[in-house]
Order: sequence, then structure tokens, then C-alpha cells
Amino acid sequence: MLSLRAVARHNGFPLPRPPLSRQSTRHIQTATVTDSDIARLASQPLHPLTLADLCKHGHPPLSKQALFNSANFTLSLLPARLAHRIQSLRSLPYIVVANPNVHKIHGNYVHSLSTLLPYAERRIETLQDEIAFTAVMADLVQTHSNTISILARGFLEARKYITAREVTRFLDEHLRARIGTRLIAEQHLALHFSSRPHHDLHSSSSAPSSSAPSSSSSSQQHNRDAEESSYIGVIDTALKPANIIRNCEAMVGEICELKYGVRPTIKMVGETETTIAHIPMHLEYILTELLKNSFRATIEAGMEREAIEITIAPAPASEAQTKTLKNKNKNRVEQMAHDHVGVISNYDQGSVDYASGSNKPDQAASGNIRALAESTPGVTIRIRDRGGGISPENLKNLWEYGFTTFNEEEINEKTSSSAGGMDAVMAGGGGPGGGSSLAGLGYGLPLGRAYAEYFGGGIAVQSLWGWGTDVYLSLRGVGRV
Amino acid sequence: MLNIARRPSAHLRWTTTLLICRPYSAPPSNGNIPPWRPSNVLDEWVQREAHPISLRQLTFFGRTLNESRLLSSANYVRLELPTRIAHRLRNMQTLPYSALTNEHISHVYEAYYRAFETFRKVPEEHLTVIPRLAMGILEIQDSVSGDECDRFMNTLLRSRISRRVIAEQHLALNETFHSPWHFDGKKSAVAPEDEFVGEIFLKCNAKEIVEKCARRANELTRKAYGPTVSLPKIVLQGHLDTTFPYIPSHLEYILGELLRNSIQSVVEQRGSAEPPPIEVLICEAAQHVIIRVSDQGGGIDREILPYLWSFAKGPRRMKRLKNLGQVPRLAATMQDLQLPPSHPDSTAGSGEKFGSSLASLSGRPPDLRLGIGLPMSRIYAEYWAGSLELHSLEGYGCDAFLQISRLGNKNEVLSTRATMDAV
Repeated sequence: MLSLRAVARHNGFPLPRPPLSRQSTRHIQTATVTDSDIARLASQPLHPLTLADLCKHGHPPLSKQALFNSANFTLSLLPARLAHRIQSLRSLPYIVVANPNVHKIHGNYVHSLSTLLPYAERRIETLQDEIAFTAVMADLVQTHSNTISILARGFLEARKYITAREVTRFLDEHLRARIGTRLIAEQHLALHFSSRPHHDLHSSSSAPSSSAPSSSSSSQQHNRDAEESSYIGVIDTALKPANIIRNCEAMVGEICELKYGVRPTIKMVGETETTIAHIPMHLEYILTELLKNSFRATIEAGMEREAIEITIAPAPASEAQTKTLKNKNKNRVEQMAHDHVGVISNYDQGSVDYASGSNKPDQAASGNIRALAESTPGVTIRIRDRGGGISPENLKNLWEYGFTTFNEEEINEKTSSSAGGMDAVMAGGGGPGGGSSLAGLGYGLPLGRAYAEYFGGGIAVQSLWGWGTDVYLSLRGVGRV
Repeated sequence: MLNIARRPSAHLRWTTTLLICRPYSAPPSNGNIPPWRPSNVLDEWVQREAHPISLRQLTFFGRTLNESRLLSSANYVRLELPTRIAHRLRNMQTLPYSALTNEHISHVYEAYYRAFETFRKVPEEHLTVIPRLAMGILEIQDSVSGDECDRFMNTLLRSRISRRVIAEQHLALNETFHSPWHFDGKKSAVAPEDEFVGEIFLKCNAKEIVEKCARRANELTRKAYGPTVSLPKIVLQGHLDTTFPYIPSHLEYILGELLRNSIQSVVEQRGSAEPPPIEVLICEAAQHVIIRVSDQGGGIDREILPYLWSFAKGPRRMKRLKNLGQVPRLAATMQDLQLPPSHPDSTAGSGEKFGSSLASLSGRPPDLRLGIGLPMSRIYAEYWAGSLELHSLEGYGCDAFLQISRLGNKNEVLSTRATMDAV
């Protein structure tokens, strides 16, 4: 995933030094989190977040006031979300939360909430406050960066005490919520860096050089007029999926070459020049996971000479009233959210807190869905491979967290050590999923789908057992900004 | 309590419908209510379980025909038909009251009741059942939920297919048995795989059927859009020699609908420009065959995507209703549209000889959009435990995936007693 460093460079700034490095946590003010704090915050209803929300403070560089607005907006969202997470964790079986790994994650959330409580009654209205708040955001992002692998390890260790189904249900909600929390924090950070009043954005000459992690965004920046960056924080309003696909293909291809000695190729068809407004690091994660699956299947079926066909199909911006879908049947919230492109819901974003009981679909039906604005063009990417398909038995478990067709030893090796074999091979560090070798913890598909669905897209998998697999990734953008 | 004295004359009603074919109008508010009948006889039949069968059973049974087998087939049919009809009658009886006040639904109910009472289908009348049901469903949208309507339709249509399969299979076997060149216990002189066993064609070749359906669909499209319309090429790939036992009319219906949809969307989307080809992939595995139909016809509109598999339609409801109203007329004038029996692709072949209503639907003109092709195809596909899935690339095209079992050993999918009485 893009580190803060990369984000800063994309906006033309070198990463500033303290107060954002880890050592300065001691300068961050905290307040003790009480049970009543958690209960109070968790009772606040959550609303779906759209990309438009994140862009509404304006195009960087933001004015001081806009920056304060962004900070206050972030402040209005995060505490309730963190509280929901804590409550959700706390309703897992005691013995599971007692596992050191799971417990660590619980502790991280409590810590992060403690750094936000001092702002409870305040609004951010001075530059000093804003800088301090940004440090809090950086701390939050840093603290939670390894959540997935730690949680995975914890659940694996505690598998005697909790069923796979319960794990999937918890993780599905938790990881979706995590996408949102991170996004909100990272967005403010990115906006902050691109708006530092005493840096002149336009005079930045040197493009990021050697050690930048390869990503579509840097190449796009090169080609772009210096005066106009397509970025609004972490959102690239002119993201070209074809570029991301090429980069992911290069990366996954290298791993294949190393591990298997052969390297499948891709063939891109359709409208390859399509651009949408989306978040590069999300798309990178999803495509990496999907290509890993396709490449591995292709090689194992001995079909590496057959190119994997990737079709890029832009969806038209339409005036279709997605609101009518929403009003049709209020009792079918969850089903609707997953069946229909153009609607996002609290379910999609992990803001339905089954455990604590608040925000349950039947209680907060209409408030839980937001129709995406009209004219939010999107894109569908279809990946067709000849890798033999997915067997009917495996198909049942496709979307389970922790289900993988790799064998038990590899899994243990992966969870017991933090940097085992294949991890070392990967340049650029682990993605948001934490897994980096060709088949990891079995999180790639469900997590990829969580990312896609977060803003109203989705992933559908169609297996032609004995032939290959077709995967349909649909994404919605933010529309005109 | 319903007023028994107001029961309309049954005979007069269905004759009127067929011959006059009145245009669609709002249904009257009452007067259509089916009478209250003492239901002891029906109860007895409802108690019985249906006995599902598989293609393989039908095949083995029919391969070596003799008189005792034929009789036992006749008895099976004699008992199964009324059992299954009774189950569907009970389904209809337990629909909300407002559903039965709809004239189309009550018409179908009456037809079923008559069939039940005589143990004998009235073929012409039943040609209109499917369109009528579809119309009725659309009309009762305000009082019965979409989900319930869909469940009801699925149950009814599945059962309908099953009864037809059983009955037509028996009739076909009967014909074989009584044909001049058959004698008891005869093993076929021709290689057994090339045979039809009753209605089942043991060596359905996917490639041939796709090509046949494609030709038919192209004919109809040319008729509708003019002979100069540029039709997309249909490209076949994959395991082209695959064969499997199936009932050809079922397969032809499904593939016909899918190809029609693809061709129409491509023609309408791309207009006069060189249309992109439609790719049909056939792939076989040990236990099943998958046929993928891939087009670049622009995909499915967002607003109808939620209603794709439903009989209870959304934004296009009124238009569909009007179109459905024209089908009964169509059934009577089908001869005009169909290819002559001498044509190799004529539907007057196996499976169609019993006046199947499938043929009348398949032969409809392309601009008569009924909106039931996909859900109907799915019911047919799932009937022998297969599946039909669709993925749309919005703004680009569609992929349809039809999966069929190769071995013929999957039982029919019926609605069982348990699901019927469940709340």
C-alpha cells in the first residue's frame, strides 16, 4: 500500500520529520477511556461514507479553513466508529479475546480512542491544534497497520473456541469498518500534506525518484501538468485502471518467475484508456490478489502460454434514479446492498454492529443506505483465465476468511513467523492485507471484495470447472468533483 | 364465503378468450372469484408425495420397451399427474385472497381444476397458461409481494415442466411401441446412442443445437429489423464434440432465449456499424457441460438489473403486460411465423409434436418483449439440477453461463410437500 511517504511525494512534498515519527507518541495527549464513554459513543448511529464525502473539502491545496473543516469532519466520524469496533470485539467469546494477539488488537483500539477523547468537546480552529490532530491521525494509521495478520494469527490459534462461520461474520464486519477508519484518517493526512501553506505546490520540480514504490500514481503525475494534480488526498480522480493492472502484473509475474520458473501473460482488451475516480491503493490490493489467483491457477494447469484476458469496460454515467431502488423495499437492506450496483450501505462498510446490537438493519433501514450520486461513472474489469476453474467443493468456501487451498504447513509457517520465506521476496512491503506471497492466509478474495464493495462496487466469481474462471470486478467512482 | 351461484360457465370463458383475444384492459374488481368447492377429493391427492425421476431413469426405462413396461409407464403417469396438479392447486388456494380475484390467475386456477377433474390436459387451453400467469403476476403486484409471486411462479412452472415431461415421454414411448417396426423386447438395430428414447435425445450435441438456435434467432431478427440488418457473427469455441442426454426442446428454448437476447442487444446497441461477434464457449468436465454466451451488447440497464430473474417486473411492467396480452393471439396464428415443417430447422420436430407452448413462445417476433425469457430459462436449466447465471459488464456486454449435468442422473427439482406447507 502507499505509505505516507509515497503519498507525500505524490503531492510534491518530502516527508517532514517529527512530530510524525513513532517516537513522539509520548507527545500525544490521551484520556482514559471508560466503559460509559464506549457505550455512549457506540450508541451513535453510523452513516455510510461516500467518496464524495471525502472530497467535499475541496481540491488541494486547501485553505486553512478547509483544512480545519476536514479535521473536524474526521473528528465527527472516528470516535463513534472506534467505539463500535471495541464493543464488537468485546462481544466475542472471552477466551478468544484473551488470546494475546486478539487482545493486542483490542488494546490498539482502546489506545486510539484514548487519543481522540481529549478532542471530545472541542473543535479544531487553530493551526497548532490541526498539527497536533494530524499527529494523532498518523499514530492511528501506524498503530493499526498490522491488524489483519495479527488478528488472523489470533483466530487461528483460538479456532477451538469459535466456529469458522462466526469468524467470517466478525471479520467481514470488522475489516470493512477498518477500511473506512483508515481511509478517513489517511485522507486527512494526505490533505494536510498537500496543503501546507508555506510550501508551494507548483514549484515542486523533482518528481519522486529511485526508491518510490512502483505505483500507477507516480507515472500519472509525471505526465500531468504540474499545475493540476488529479489527486484529492488519497483519491485519484483520474485513475487509469490499465496502469494499475500493468503494475500488478509486473509484480505478480516476478513472483511467479521466482517460484515457478514461468510467467503467464495478460492481454488487455476493451477501452483501456478509461479513467475513474478511485483510491489507487485499494485497486492495487484487489488486482494483486485477483492476478495472484489467476496466475497461480494458470501455471498449475500448465496453461501459461494462454494469455489471461482482461477486459476494461467503462460503465456509463447515467441519470438512473438509484434512489428508487432504495425505497422499493425497506426490509431487504442487506440483500439490496449486495445485488445492486449504485447503492452502498452500512452493511457494505461494516457499520452494522451485529454484536452490540446498534445499527441493526431492521432498526435503521433507511438511514443505512446511501444512493450514490447520479453520474458516478464506474468501470467493470473482467479477468478471464484458463486455469481450470474452481471445484464445486472449494466454491462453497470461496468467501470465507482463512480458507485457502495451500496446505497446513505453509499456513503455520506464515502465521508463526512475521517474515517467512516468500515475504522476503516481495519488494515494497506487504499490502493492506499483510500477506505478500502467492497464496497467503486466505484473505485475498474476501478482503478484495470488501474493498470493492466499500463504495458500491463488487466482485463476482464464475467458475467453469475444467476450463477456467471469469472474475468480474466492478467499481464505482466519485463522479464529477 | 364465495357465492357459488355466480360461477361463470367454464367452457364459454376459455373459448371466448382464445377466439376474441380482447386487448388488455384493467381487470374487473370482482366476479372472477373461483367458487368454494368441497375439497375432500383434492385433499387426498394433496396428501400424496410426488415421485421425482431423472433423465437416466427415463432413458433406461424406455430403451427396451415391452408391453408391461408401457403399462407401468402409463400407471406412473396416471398417478403422478393428478398428484402434481393437486399440489399446485393447493399452492394457488393458499395464495392471498386478492391474488385469486385477478382474472388471469383465477382463469389458470379454473383450468387446473378442470384438468385435475378430468385427468386429462386440454392442450389448446393450456397453451396460454404461461403468458396468462405472467400477466396475472404483474397485475397483482400491489397486493402480493414480489418474492411471493416469484416463489409461486417458480413452483408452478417447475411442476408444469415435470408433468409435461412425464406425459410427453409416455406418449412418445407409446408411439414408438405402436409403430410398425417395433416389437417386444427389441434392442435397437441402430447404435443405441443415436436414438431418441421417447423425448430424450441421448446424444445432444451442444454445437449443433447452438448453431440451429443461432440460425433461427437470426431469421427472426432479420424479419423484425429488415433483411439488411448486419447480424453479429456467432463464434463457437471450446469442446465442440461434447454430447450429453437431454430433452432437445428444453435446451433449444434456453439457448434460443440467450442468443436472442444477445443478438438483439448487439443489433440495437451497435446499429449499422460492424457488430462485434457473440462468443459461445462449450466446455465439458466429467460431470457437466458449461455453455458460456458472451456478447458486447452494452450490458443490462441498471434499473432493470434487480428484476432480471423475477416475474414481478419493475420499471417496464406496463409494457410487458401489454406484450404478454398478445401472446394468446400468437398461439393461434403461430403458423405464419414458423418455418415450414420441411425446413430442417423447423420446430415441428421431436419435442414439439405435442403442441408445446414453448414453441409458440420461441417463435414470437423479436419486438414482442415479454420479459420472462430469463426466469423461464432458469427454471428449465434448474429443472435437471443445472444452473443459469448472468454477469453484466455495464455499458459493454453480458456473459451468460448455462451449466448442465452430463450424466442424466440428477433428479428433477420439484417443490416438495415440506416446502409447500411451510409458513
